Amino acid sequence: MTSILECRELMKAYGKVIAVNNVSLGIGRGETKVIFGPSGSGKSTLLRCLGLLEKPTKGSVYFNGVDVYVSKQDLNKLRARIGFVFQEPSLFRHLTALGNIMLGLKHVSGLSDAEARRKAYEALKLVRMEDWVNYYPAQLSGGQQQRVGIARAISMDPEVVLFDEPTAALDVELKWEVISVMKDLADRGTTMLVATHELRFAKEVADEMIFMDQGQVLEVGSPDHFFTSPNTERARKFMAKILG
Amino acid sequence: MTPVEQIVFLLKAVPVTLAISFLSFLLGLGLGVSLAFMRIYGIAPLRYFSDSYEKFFRSVPVLAVMLLLYFGLGPLLPIFKDPFFTSVISLGIVSGANQSQIFRSAISSVGRTQMLAAISIGLTQLKALRYVIFPQALFLAVPGLGSEIALLIKDSAYSFIIGVIELMKHTDILRASQRSLILPYISSAIIYVVMTFPVANYLDKWGSRKKRELGL
Amino acid sequence: MLFLLDYSTFLINGFIITVEVTLIGVGLGLILGILAALGDIFGGRIIKIIVNVYVEFFRGSPLIVQLFIFYFTIPMITGIRMDVMLTAILTLALNSGAYQKGYLKGAMEAVFKDQLMAALSLGLPTWKIFLYVVVPQALRIVIPAWSNELASMGKSTTALIVIGVREFLNTGISITAQTFRPLETYAFITIVYFIWIYSMLKALDMLYNKIKIPGLEPVI
Ligand SMILES: Nc1ncnc2c1ncn2[C@@H]1O[C@H](COP(=O)(O)OP(=O)(O)OP(=O)(O)O)[C@@H](O)[C@H]1O
Ligand SMILES: [Mg+2]
Repeated sequence: MTSILECRELMKAYGKVIAVNNVSLGIGRGETKVIFGPSGSGKSTLLRCLGLLEKPTKGSVYFNGVDVYVSKQDLNKLRARIGFVFQEPSLFRHLTALGNIMLGLKHVSGLSDAEARRKAYEALKLVRMEDWVNYYPAQLSGGQQQRVGIARAISMDPEVVLFDEPTAALDVELKWEVISVMKDLADRGTTMLVATHELRFAKEVADEMIFMDQGQVLEVGSPDHFFTSPNTERARKFMAKILG
Repeated sequence: MTPVEQIVFLLKAVPVTLAISFLSFLLGLGLGVSLAFMRIYGIAPLRYFSDSYEKFFRSVPVLAVMLLLYFGLGPLLPIFKDPFFTSVISLGIVSGANQSQIFRSAISSVGRTQMLAAISIGLTQLKALRYVIFPQALFLAVPGLGSEIALLIKDSAYSFIIGVIELMKHTDILRASQRSLILPYISSAIIYVVMTFPVANYLDKWGSRKKRELGL
Repeated sequence: MLFLLDYSTFLINGFIITVEVTLIGVGLGLILGILAALGDIFGGRIIKIIVNVYVEFFRGSPLIVQLFIFYFTIPMITGIRMDVMLTAILTLALNSGAYQKGYLKGAMEAVFKDQLMAALSLGLPTWKIFLYVVVPQALRIVIPAWSNELASMGKSTTALIVIGVREFLNTGISITAQTFRPLETYAFITIVYFIWIYSMLKALDMLYNKIKIPGLEPVI
């Protein structure tokens, strides 16, 4: 199976700091993969490179089998086909929940106002936010904001959605409402690459888990593999720490 | 005059500039604090007066006020014939409006519950203001007061127009006597920056630090 | 005050000049302020130093000295003499830009951080991000500070009398010289300033209340 999104020997450095080092991975249609690893291990950086939000220092990114940076495609067109959900909700603060979603539909996809409105409403319904369409971000809880962020990403009908620790900034009760929305998406066959420490979520929906440490992929395997017998000492310790 | 002598000549006027700024700041402080308390805790006519005062003097140029007092009132009230006095008064009454606003927002961010707490332990409203509200408000007002002082130092330059012998006047004397258009103006500008920069920046930093320490 | 009627054209012309230099000064100052803020956020070390020296100089010294420098010193050094109105507007713009840089930087940083990346991830091209994400927010954050700036610039334009610009206060000085009635003249002048600046503040206040959005409060 060819991957929708793939990176090969990807390296990203910020000055002297090497945030991601020699990482190759791919994600195929309908798959859900989870990336986990300690803070500073390079998860966010890797996702930003895959989301074409940052250019890798070395290595390549393939979208539907085409090398993005060699083919010189219009990056904005590709970005519109890759959804991204951030750790901080990152909603546009001058727009309501509905307005946040309509922005991309109108000004990127070129939908009419009415079409964009209808589609945005559908997306909000999917994340169970249909009662909050006219609220501004500042009037919503963190979990609600994050669900709007998810709706904003999926409303564009992306071929793959990247999640960067979408629940890390949330209280325990609020985490659940976001996780359950993400589970719904996975069940509907959305292609997802999720950086998260929610191992229960990983166990239930992940086809594959990827353990990162110090910028590198240390170990790859099924949730069962990681929960029963990880190969590396680091992964074992990290799992133990998270599961308490 | 050598360049050094010229700069010394400019520096000799600095005390007058600072005196105008300092005295007008004090006048503005007295006015500002009273107006702010009148506005927040006063009876209706006082509130109305304070509000109008603030609105009016925040919207008029200090130089216009200065000319009005000096040329307009001077012939009627002899005290306004003194340019130094007149410039301190003009700067002070305008600053009173600015400082009233600074204190108003400081007092309102101290919060209503502090007042209730103070009254609940038996303090009179006046004592609560004096010992609870005001000390906290003062900390919150410090950064704003810092920029107000800097503003007064700069605006004191207007008083040269009605004939006060301060830094700007010395600059002008130097320009005329030395027939130089470069050194007097540049040095004078730098002297002003050296006076205003530390006040505004130091008080701003100090105020924000205190604010954090006190959890205000 | 009826004698002032004889000078109405004169006064009106002066008032128009005052309004003109205020609006042009603040408008050009906005552009300079945006450039300075961008320089301070994204620039290298040298650019940051230049921006900060510029800002501290213009915020730290009286407008009168700045006017003298631009009217006398700089033409002396460069040999280029500019028209007095041009000098006035240039100085006001530089002065205003230095003040505006401060809150513009705050407003931009408030918008820039996380939301730019979010806008990028939707596939919005840079100019659309600027138009639909940055501008609408920065505008709302900035309006209250901007009305302060307009008011303070409106008042500061009185400094222009030192280089002989025939603005509103200067017409008062000329009228006084002819009529010897300073009290009424300056009182009238002061009241007109009040009406003008106060209504400008009120208008911007109303505009702000009309377009304000919860959670998008000003940074000052
Ligand atoms: N924009 C940047 N500039 C400089 N260094 C960066 C930048 N982004 C990340 N880094 C560095 O790269 C390394 C990897 O950071 P990254 O944010 O990708 O890790 P992470 O796994 O997402 O961590 P966390 O779980 O805390 O979010 C860290 O050392 C970080 O300091
Ligand atoms: Mg991260």
